[in-house]
Amino acid sequence: MKKIVITTLSAAALSSVFMLTSCGGGNKSDADNIGADSTKVDTTAATKSNQSSTEMSYQIPSPKEMFVFIKQVASKNNKRTDMLNSPDNAKNYTDAKTQALNFGIYSCDLTYCSIFEVGTDMLKYFKTVKQLGDAVGVSNSISPSTVKSLEKNMGNPDSLVEIADDLYFSSFESMQNSQQGNILALSVAGGYIEGLNIACSLVKYDKKNPAVERIADEKYTLDNIIDFMKKYESDASVKETIAKLEELRTTFNQVTEKQEGKVAVKEEKGAKVLGGGSELEMTEAQYKAITDKVTSIRNSFTGK
Amino acid sequence: MKRIIAILVVLISLTTSKIVAQASACGDFHRKACYMEGTKKDKRQFMYNAQSKSGLFAQGSISKMRCIVYKGMDYRMTVCCETILGDKVNFKIYDGRTNELLFDNTKNDNSQQFEFQASTTRQLIIEATVPAGEVKEEKGKAETAACVGLLIENKVSERTGFSQY
Repeated sequence: MKKIVITTLSAAALSSVFMLTSCGGGNKSDADNIGADSTKVDTTAATKSNQSSTEMSYQIPSPKEMFVFIKQVASKNNKRTDMLNSPDNAKNYTDAKTQALNFGIYSCDLTYCSIFEVGTDMLKYFKTVKQLGDAVGVSNSISPSTVKSLEKNMGNPDSLVEIADDLYFSSFESMQNSQQGNILALSVAGGYIEGLNIACSLVKYDKKNPAVERIADEKYTLDNIIDFMKKYESDASVKETIAKLEELRTTFNQVTEKQEGKVAVKEEKGAKVLGGGSELEMTEAQYKAITDKVTSIRNSFTGK
Repeated sequence: MKRIIAILVVLISLTTSKIVAQASACGDFHRKACYMEGTKKDKRQFMYNAQSKSGLFAQGSISKMRCIVYKGMDYRMTVCCETILGDKVNFKIYDGRTNELLFDNTKNDNSQQFEFQASTTRQLIIEATVPAGEVKEEKGKAETAACVGLLIENKVSERTGFSQY
C-alpha cells in the first residue's frame, strides 16, 4: 500500500487492485503462499505463474457447499439440531471476540437449518444471527425485508437456502467493506469450526464414505482461512484464534497424502475433468483426533 | 518539508477514500454481470459459490486469488467485466500447490467461462488480467479502472459408474 503515495490517478487505480483483493495475505510472495503439506513452500512456484508481486486473495468456501454435499451423499433425512449452538447462549456473548466468533457460528447453524430443512429452528437462528449481527456492526445487512421474506418462505426450502446464503455473504461482505477485518476473520473462523463440528457429528467414520473424504479435504480450507486471518493477526483476539486453528492444522497434517499422478485437466466423455495430484486418506484414529480437536476449539468459542 | 508531508497526507487520504468507495462499488458485480445467456438457460442446478469475487481493475493489472475445489463437485467459473475495459478478461487457472498452468482462456478461444469436474480436491490459483488498451471514460469512475467479476458456481457431480460414492 506504500505505493498509494504516488498520486497519479492511474497509480491509484492500480493500487486499488491490491486493496480490492481485500482478503489478501499481507506482503507474502506467491511462493510463501503455497499451502502444500500445508506448510511446505514450493520455491519454484513464482517462476511458473506470473512473477509480479501481485497480492494473493484467499477465498473461503461457505459451509453451504459442504452441507449440500454431505446431505446428498450421506445424511439425506437428517434433522438433528442437538449439535448446534443453542440460541439461548447468545446472551452470554458480551465481548467483541465472542460475539464475532459466535456470529460466525450461528450464521453457520442458520445455513445448516436451511440446507437440512429444519424450518422450525430456522427463525430462532435467524433472530440470533440478527441480534449478534447488530452487536458486531452488520445490522444493515439484515434488513426487516429479509425477516419478512424468511417468514413468507418458511415452506419453501430452496428460497430459505437462498435467504440464509445471501445473509451469510452480505454480512461478511459488509464487514470487509467497512474495514472490520478483525471481526470478519473471527467470524470466518467461527463459521468454519462450526461447519466442521456439525459435519463430524453427522458423519460416521467409514474409509470409503465420500463425506469422510470431504471432511479430510477441509484441511485445504483451513490453509486458506489461516492465511487470510494472518492479515489481521495484529489483533490479539485474531492471533489467539489463529493459534487454535494452527493446532487443528497440526492434527490435519497427520493425514496421509496419496499421490494420484500429475495434476491435469483431461477430456472425459465430453467433459473436462480436473484430476491428479494428491488425495488425503484418513484413518479412524485420525478422524477421531480431528473430531476431538474441533470439538475442543468449538467449545472454547461457545464457552461450553 | 512539513508542508510537503501535509500535502502528501491529504493526497493519500483522498486517494484512499476514493479507492475504498470504488471497492465497495464493485461489491457483488459478479452476481449481476457474470450470468451469461447460456448460463441462464442451463437447467442443471448449479449453485452460487461463496468464493466468487469482484474487484476494481486497472488496465494491465493482474489479480490472483486462491480458492478450493472439492472432489465430487462440478464447477463453472465465469469472468466478466465492465464494457469500458472491452469485453474480454484474460484468466488463467494454476494448481495451488505446484503452480502448473491448468487453463488459459487465451488458448481456448478467449472463452470467459470454464466448466470442469473435480476428481480430487485442490487449491487453485485464479489469475485475472485486464489487457491494456483503449478505454472509454465513464461518469464517476476512474478512466482506466473498472469492475471485474469472477463468478464461481458448483453442483454435486452426477454419480456414474459403480465406484462413485
